Amino acid sequence: MNMQLSRRQLLKLTGAGAAGSALGAFGFGGAEEAMAQAVRPFKLARATETRNTCPYCSVSCGMILYSLGDRSKNARSEIFHVEGDPDNPVNRGTLCPKGAGVLDFIRAKTRVKHPMYRAPGTAAFKQVSWDWAMDRIATLMKEDRDRNFIAANKDGVTVNRWTTTGFLAGCATSNEAGWLTWKVTRGLGLIQVDNQARI
Amino acid sequence: MPRAGSPQLPPGGAVPPAPMNIGEAADPPFAVLPDPASLFGRRAARFAELAPEHPLEAYLRFLASVAGAQRDCLDGLPEPVLPPPVELERAYTHSMPPVPFGRFEADAVFDATLTAFLDRLAVADGLPQASRDAIEGLRAADADARRAMADAVLVGSIPEDAVAPHVLMAAALQVHFTRAAARLDASRLTPVADAACPSCGSGPVASMIVGWPGAHGTRFCACSMCGTLWNVVRIKCLLCGGVDGIAYHTIEGAPDVVKAETCEQCHGYVKILHQHKDTRLESVADDVGSLGLDLLLAEEDWVRGGANPFLTGY
Repeated sequence: MNMQLSRRQLLKLTGAGAAGSALGAFGFGGAEEAMAQAVRPFKLARATETRNTCPYCSVSCGMILYSLGDRSKNARSEIFHVEGDPDNPVNRGTLCPKGAGVLDFIRAKTRVKHPMYRAPGTAAFKQVSWDWAMDRIATLMKEDRDRNFIAANKDGVTVNRWTTTGFLAGCATSNEAGWLTWKVTRGLGLIQVDNQARI
Repeated sequence: MPRAGSPQLPPGGAVPPAPMNIGEAADPPFAVLPDPASLFGRRAARFAELAPEHPLEAYLRFLASVAGAQRDCLDGLPEPVLPPPVELERAYTHSMPPVPFGRFEADAVFDATLTAFLDRLAVADGLPQASRDAIEGLRAADADARRAMADAVLVGSIPEDAVAPHVLMAAALQVHFTRAAARLDASRLTPVADAACPSCGSGPVASMIVGWPGAHGTRFCACSMCGTLWNVVRIKCLLCGGVDGIAYHTIEGAPDVVKAETCEQCHGYVKILHQHKDTRLESVADDVGSLGLDLLLAEEDWVRGGANPFLTGY
């Protein structure tokens, strides 16, 4: 194991006490001991600051999410504050009222955390699995595409368009996710696509 | 009311189709040069303010005297000698520090600075005997010995059997480099490295989140030697440049205005002061004042990365 020791830590290991430190050198070794005594009952608290992108619109403002909790101890980390990222060239630390209120969105009791399905004619949503949801979407897309796909226009020119379904994708997506969205949707012939890839 | 900087509305006219400033957009300068008198004055005041009831009270009061002597010795010092214009120009255009610590010269101006600083400190009240010995030792040292001490301070290898005179030498060097940096052109300084001062190349003592108008929430590193402040993006390890595994440690229950920015990649940390929450925070003084945080971090084997001669040995 590669260990780095400060001179202070080395001196501590060798039992040299306050010698070699600025406090000891000026005769304040007692103050150092008092400091150590004063903090001994206390623990360290750990917080993180994480960069993220606002989930709302295609401006894609940078955000800093502040959370408490020690991930290494399996504790649940809790976001307690959100502010604009002052280093982000898009918003330079600012957020609109919607973005500034994102903490309530994160903590909302009504926040959707799983795929939900409301069958036609029913009043309530029920939780479904991702697999079920993906199968359902794929089936409906295929049915609609088989029924409405236009391979050629009235002049016989190949157009391969599918105009009866639209695709709404996320905003905080990377270039790569945007590229994939485009590949998949255009490959199917979709015309109406909004993946907010204009950032 | 439109904010300052918003386009003026013509009286009775239509609202111009231009974006208005509706928030505090941060547009920080890259570097802010020190004003020696206010820097050392604020530092002395902050040491004195931190001292009462503090476990390190005696040491903080002593450092208040040191910073006070740094401030008081400024009057009447000869004008510092900057490198020749051609060298300054080369530094400005090639991202090098214009007054690098590696090219320090113990000239007559530095001798005058050291002498004036020691004279001011010697008349302070309540100095410990060890500091009086250190002052006498420095006064008696010849040019070669002083030069060797200055070099040891500047490269960060203070011998542990002679810490006290070296710390006072460091204080005199702070005055020397701060006066030189104050005479540079801030608009021409360029980034050297995240953890290298754009004026003198020294490492930061800590970084600060500032609350200045027009730079709110941005992070500035504070030079341990010349007091220059330079802008570095937040949530990034100053020591290794890593951005993954950054966390902020505080003493549980204490005001969280002084935090340690720890990096899981290099296992080092540099303190970060939330000056936008408490404008009294001063990099060097609050670094010493938060020694308790260092002691707790050392128990978890975090390695201190901030440079501060007044905490030599930690």
